Amino acid sequence: MTTTEAKTRQLAWVYDLNKCIGCQTCSVACKVLWTRDEGEKHQWWMSVNTMPGLGTPKGWEDMGGGFDPETGKPRPGHQPTRGEFGGGFDYNYQEVFYGGTAGKAHLEPQGPREGRWAMNWDEDQGAGEWPNSYYFYLPRQCNHCSNPVCMSACATGALSRTNDGLVLRDEEVCMGDRFCMEACPYKKIYFNYDRHVAQQCIGCFPRIEAGVAPACVRQCPGRAVFIGDLEDEESSVHKLVKTWKVAMPLKAEAGTGPNVYYVPPLSPHRLNDDMSIDTETPRIPPEYLESLFGPGVHGALNVLKGEMETVRAGGASEILTTLIAYKWQELLGPFTVDPATLDRSNGGA
Amino acid sequence: MKVARLNGELADPAAPAWGGAEAVSITLGPVPIGAQPTAYIREAWAGRSYGTTGAATLAAASDGERLYLRLEWPDGATPNGEFQDAVAAMFPAGGDAPVATMGDHDRPVELWFWENGRGPLRLTSRGPGVVRKEAADGVAARGDLAGGRWSVVLSGPKPAAGKPVGVAVWDGSNDERAGLAAVSQEWLQLELA
Repeated sequence: MTTTEAKTRQLAWVYDLNKCIGCQTCSVACKVLWTRDEGEKHQWWMSVNTMPGLGTPKGWEDMGGGFDPETGKPRPGHQPTRGEFGGGFDYNYQEVFYGGTAGKAHLEPQGPREGRWAMNWDEDQGAGEWPNSYYFYLPRQCNHCSNPVCMSACATGALSRTNDGLVLRDEEVCMGDRFCMEACPYKKIYFNYDRHVAQQCIGCFPRIEAGVAPACVRQCPGRAVFIGDLEDEESSVHKLVKTWKVAMPLKAEAGTGPNVYYVPPLSPHRLNDDMSIDTETPRIPPEYLESLFGPGVHGALNVLKGEMETVRAGGASEILTTLIAYKWQELLGPFTVDPATLDRSNGGA
Repeated sequence: MKVARLNGELADPAAPAWGGAEAVSITLGPVPIGAQPTAYIREAWAGRSYGTTGAATLAAASDGERLYLRLEWPDGATPNGEFQDAVAAMFPAGGDAPVATMGDHDRPVELWFWENGRGPLRLTSRGPGVVRKEAADGVAARGDLAGGRWSVVLSGPKPAAGKPVGVAVWDGSNDERAGLAAVSQEWLQLELA
């Protein structure tokens, strides 16, 4: 099962971080579609975190994994624990709704308060000191890597790449050994403690096969995410990533060839002590953005600023027109089928 | 070793009937790091100790219908909640399969596998952790933790003739799973009465 089938296209996502409002609609769209079964309560295959932040699992950026940039060998990684993912809480519904405790009891996760954590626990904390505090939202999912270290780490060959370039797991073959979770530099693989298999984003492949965009993309109210074939030069994802170079992957130095890309966030201006505006210094430290998106982030931000200047001066910008996405369906690439129109008589997606 | 012919609740590791069976100590050692199946496992575990259970005690019995193997070994440190203690009996499933690497690509071994909190599995192993789930075929298991020691009875249909058996033990508190096990260094011949 470790064979790589002949690939016909490479699906890629592009998230515009200047448009993501952190509403978690993508997260919830994914959640209600895919992770409502046993052992999946704590699983958020799609999640949005506030950056800078510890995110999910807690402290994932420091958990290793991926490949060593110098030797090319797999780097040891930490296997994220149930507590580090957190969430999946049980609530005191019985007490609040049926316990005759009106006005006294309130809904509260059960279990110890100490060390509690969850998928979006540090929302909107960010960093920096007032009045120059800053943050932005970072939607994260499986990166469906071209060189997936999860796949090569697995002892049983449970993972493989599809013709669409999606990394999928055969749950019959998965033994729950979790080397994939250790090896993944993005820590976006979850363990199902009830069914004893690891699980992650499946790229909504049953929807893809029916011509329907993934739930995270189709449901985004901010028109902030594109999907398409990275190898199709006419696609928005190809143009944003390859032609205009305004989108880049997260932590590409891990060497796994991620296929989720981000248009980096522009910054508000800094305020001086006397509250005058410092137009020269971005509030989000450029070195921080570089630590996430690599050195290409500076050029990307300059391109975006230049395009905005052009438009302000009355000119036209294909890049901004694309990113604004006046026509909603342009976000969906070739996957424009309305899921409401599908024949579900056989229980299809 | 001899498979004792016994009557009683042999599926229960605490059953008094087990007092009538011969028990032998099996020396275990870690599956070699170089035999681990993926580069990730070899890199990540090269500097970590695993397969730390040094020995297990094996007793074998049959009620005429089924073969029962009772394994006992000292429990490791406090469980970390992520990985569980586990044990397997191994049998060669093709040719002279190597026991110390849990079989290899061409010479598989059959595993009767028990893990704390998880039902018994029958597996085919073609190297450390390179396993496939098979139909249960009557394989059963039951484990007890008492006095800091695990005792587990693995059972299955009695084979027609004696056959070699090996043992693998995983200490969950040390993140041991897949090929990160302590295994028999040689096959032990089971002799049916």
